[in-house]
Amino acid sequence: MWRYFVRRINLFFVTSIVMISVIFFATGMFPVEKGYALSGIQFPTVEQQAQTVEDYNLEDNQLNQFIAYVTQRLSGNLGISVNSQQSVADELSAVLPASFELSLFAGCIAVFFGVPLGVIASLSASKTIQRSILAITLTGYSIPVFWLGLTLALWFGVHLEWLPISGQINLLYEIEPVTGFMLIDTLLSERPYAISAFKDALLHIILPAVTLAVLPFTVVIRITRQAMMTVMTQTYIRAAEARGLNTFRILIRHALPNALIPVLKAFGLMLGSFASYGILVEVIFSWPGVGLWLINGIYQRDYTVIQAGILSVSLLIIFLSIMIDLVHTTINPINRKELYAN
Amino acid sequence: MPIKKLYQEEQIDSPLGQLWHSFASNPFAVAGLWAIIFLLILVVLGPLLAPFQPEMQNPDAILLPPSWDQAGHVSHFLGTDDLGRDLFSRILHGVRLTFGMSLIVVISALVVGFVIGSLSGMMRGLKSSILGHLLDALLSIPSLLLAILVVAVTGPGLTNVFWAVGIALTPQFVRAIHQAVHEELQKEYVTAAKIDGASQIQIFWYVIMPNVWDVVIIQTTIAISVAILDIAALGFLNLGAQAPSSEWGSMIFQGLNSLLIAPWTITIPGLAILFTVLSINLVGDGLRSALAPIRN
Repeated sequence: MWRYFVRRINLFFVTSIVMISVIFFATGMFPVEKGYALSGIQFPTVEQQAQTVEDYNLEDNQLNQFIAYVTQRLSGNLGISVNSQQSVADELSAVLPASFELSLFAGCIAVFFGVPLGVIASLSASKTIQRSILAITLTGYSIPVFWLGLTLALWFGVHLEWLPISGQINLLYEIEPVTGFMLIDTLLSERPYAISAFKDALLHIILPAVTLAVLPFTVVIRITRQAMMTVMTQTYIRAAEARGLNTFRILIRHALPNALIPVLKAFGLMLGSFASYGILVEVIFSWPGVGLWLINGIYQRDYTVIQAGILSVSLLIIFLSIMIDLVHTTINPINRKELYAN
Repeated sequence: MPIKKLYQEEQIDSPLGQLWHSFASNPFAVAGLWAIIFLLILVVLGPLLAPFQPEMQNPDAILLPPSWDQAGHVSHFLGTDDLGRDLFSRILHGVRLTFGMSLIVVISALVVGFVIGSLSGMMRGLKSSILGHLLDALLSIPSLLLAILVVAVTGPGLTNVFWAVGIALTPQFVRAIHQAVHEELQKEYVTAAKIDGASQIQIFWYVIMPNVWDVVIIQTTIAISVAILDIAALGFLNLGAQAPSSEWGSMIFQGLNSLLIAPWTITIPGLAILFTVLSINLVGDGLRSALAPIRN
């Protein structure tokens, strides 16, 4: 187990270095002067210029430049934003929690609704239910998320006026950020309107989260269904039936834990497309997260923001997928056997 | 009159025939196949069938609803947008830009990915492992994000979208083919061929490849739907095809201004994307389940 663990950690570092070098390479290709693309200072004074050259080792060869780049970025110096003139690292730490909140919420929706539906789809003998669930998942797979978001916003936000369609919370409420998660911050807030602010934040998150949840929801249904169908044919299920346990208990205690392992794996594989869907959803619903920040950075040719956005998102994806891989190996006994057999 | 069977023995189809029979027994997959054939015809003939030029503005018919609406007019079948451009013609021209381009992108990515993937798959040891890590890194960037990075470097535009989506898709092909070739290489029938004295190229082409084609096919169908969604998403973010273009994602972006009074300007291109991606996924799904018994 430990050997596997160390190998995964190694993989994380190697992959991250490759990732950073891709971004470093792209930074060199930005159609502006390199010092500007790296530091974000458009018209540097002589000292600033000297500082940038020194920080990023600009007069040295490419390899040393790359090492300087990695050192700067990993020590938290992401430069300043071209447009807001603020430190990019501060801006990033302000927008990251909002994205986490949205994706966690969407992920929870997907699991809470997807797993039961997947189980139903796997158990029901009726062709109609199976067919319709498969049809729903295939449509969910194919639907362009930006169009779905717009349509939902148009219907539930504009025509029915049920839900707000932009932002994280009504601007009337002033909530001081503690965790950065608006739902938690409103509850922690000492102000008299904390509860109504919480309700407002909850209403704001529904539409973006539902839109974002469509992809993981369909994936969860499909994988759960497939896994349940395999698991239910296993001998230990028959043994449990022979012992006279009722169906519900067999499902919950015996079948589901094993069926959920592939779902976890699918989540790891899905992270990339989930992140790109997240970016689109944030743009549509003006959710103040990394995606919106990154896209605005591109519109405004804000080179430091582009680097920081892509760097943070992709490093997060690398980290999370390796974490999921590790968890998957730890909880899956079959995997462990394969590891020790070698 | 059917030909009389002289022999008792069962006739066994060729693998391709078996695949087709298994595929054709799924009505949804066949429907998807027809839809794709229809779209392919539109890629070729679309601009000829379109009643208007895609950029032609008609100031007398601004924001006309689709023809089945009370206020609609039959000369503009799907209505018009805020500049009086005929949506039906734009959709027909857009087939080439969205679907046609996704095909070209995927084919180019497939060729590049196939060459790199099979070369690296046949390699062993350190070189193979380094390449594996490199690919893991590239794969961990979501394709849309990689495309955004490329657009950030090159600037928006339809040709840059080609490069962006192509570069984003290639690692997936390389990875899938690399893994498939690598897995087959471990198996015993390959060793048997090696003992028989087959050269590397013979092993690759005659021994391994017949078992890898299905991976290639499945990966291609996935890639086409990803490519369409990425091209449209970039168009929607205004990072891909630019304003007067009739690329479907870009059409949705252009419809945003009149979203509240004319929702059909985004609904119709959205449905077009949905229809295309859905039919590709239907075919992909059908192929996957048709290939499953052969693969196992």
